[in-house]
Amino acid sequence: MQEDFHYYATYCAAMLAGYSHEESLDICYSAQFVDLCSRTVLVKLGAPAIAATTQLQLELMDARTDIAGIQDITRIWASFHFLPRDLYANKPKRTKRYLHKYRLICGPNGDLVKKTVELAKNRSLQSAGIAMHVMADTWAHMYFAGTPSLVINDTSGDFTELTGETGEVKITFRHNPSAPDDLENSIYTNSLRQRDENSIMNLGHGRAGHLPDYSFIRYRYMPAWDEYRLTVKDNPSDYYKAFSQMVYAMKYLIGDRADFEIDRYDQDSVSVYEDRIREILGRRRLSASDDWKAFGEELSGETIPDFDLDKYQDEYIQAPSERKDETFIGRFIQGAIAQKTMVSEAIYRSGNLLAGIVQIGGS
Amino acid sequence: MTKLQRIRDILLGLIMIAIAGVMFLFQESVYWVIISVLSVIFTFEGLSTIIYYFTMARFMTGGRSILYKGVILLDFGILTGTLTDVPRIYVLLYLVAIHAFSGAVELLRAREAASYGGSWKLKMFHGILDLSMALICIVFIRRLNIAVIIYAFGLVYSAILRIVSACRRTKLVYIP
Repeated sequence: MQEDFHYYATYCAAMLAGYSHEESLDICYSAQFVDLCSRTVLVKLGAPAIAATTQLQLELMDARTDIAGIQDITRIWASFHFLPRDLYANKPKRTKRYLHKYRLICGPNGDLVKKTVELAKNRSLQSAGIAMHVMADTWAHMYFAGTPSLVINDTSGDFTELTGETGEVKITFRHNPSAPDDLENSIYTNSLRQRDENSIMNLGHGRAGHLPDYSFIRYRYMPAWDEYRLTVKDNPSDYYKAFSQMVYAMKYLIGDRADFEIDRYDQDSVSVYEDRIREILGRRRLSASDDWKAFGEELSGETIPDFDLDKYQDEYIQAPSERKDETFIGRFIQGAIAQKTMVSEAIYRSGNLLAGIVQIGGS
Repeated sequence: MTKLQRIRDILLGLIMIAIAGVMFLFQESVYWVIISVLSVIFTFEGLSTIIYYFTMARFMTGGRSILYKGVILLDFGILTGTLTDVPRIYVLLYLVAIHAFSGAVELLRAREAASYGGSWKLKMFHGILDLSMALICIVFIRRLNIAVIIYAFGLVYSAILRIVSACRRTKLVYIP
């Protein structure tokens, strides 16, 4: 997912859940900041690097792929962008080494989604934003894992876009990093195939390019892990569920509901706007930010400022050390460390060392 | 690539150049070393690829190609190991086959990369270089020490590439 959903759509979901304009801005800022809070940013701020929620391209180029490096990568990507659906999933005839990777495949409505939302309860708005990012990505990034793996994250080369009721368009991939995706001619950029199991190029959905990040697209392909079965990814439907689930989850966080249950979606607030939301999700373009922004401003009657990475940095830098935790970024860091610890520990407790050995209270 | 990996690659490149220098100087006596090194590398690569197939890639979409690759590499390794007792001209023919095959594959990859709009010039250069080495082997087939010279030249070329790639930041398409 991109800024259009993590920032603007999350703002809309927060408004529909009952948060105020200012609270919704804090939540959506935090949700978007998850995609930008790299070690580079944290080092610049003098903040703990352990709180990193993403890795920049240049950081990934320097990332080691020995066991310690893979554990570091997995802690970040599995905790914030590819939340595993089932850490105890099983497949016959597979080796333990294979299953450890297979069990990290991301998907919605797993136990860890519930734990993520419950972890954010009674915490800061920043924690709520982090949880909304993680939850939304379980829908967008499903079928890929947040750890480098050829046998999981590779795909067959044949991708087909499903248009209308019966229309099909063959998708062409290229590896040109400077060329934007060409929607008109169905030409997209993806990462190069690397035959090394632990190559950094085999992390996440690189082999499918940015297709999982576009709300409008429906496509068919063959993932490496599913025994030659074709998978249909229906992003407009999945993104709608993601949006409805975010509203449901935030109603729990705000205190409107006593419990958070998986596979439950808000109908009361969202159904009123269903046509509008589906229209935004289904429109074919690289970014839906403008439409989500307009929708959000209609909901609140307020102006939604553009996302500004530097907005809260001075506040954090200038705060004395004993007050840093009270700043916006300080609260984000606490929420990020809590989320990373919770997910990494759950992976470790399942007998899987791909996120390292994690003790309660530390990651 | 970490700083340590860069330093390691630069040191490895320098060692490879030094080995190539020794080969140029003692062409007759290092002949068997080339064969042994090639054999060990191919055999190790083949075995590790086959083990990877059976432990990880067996159920993967398109995973059987990994098994084929492992078997072919292992086969190359065993075949190369048996070449120590045969006339050197066969070794030269073997080098011709390897370089011609590698060159053809690189040219095909360059064509594929160009069709994707990606970087193809370096691949094309590799392909042409490999085919040129195969051609040199054929032209000088009666001069048996030519295999050593070609191998040493290949080492120098790989070493330079390793050092260059260790010193630069690689632009890549990375989408997590």
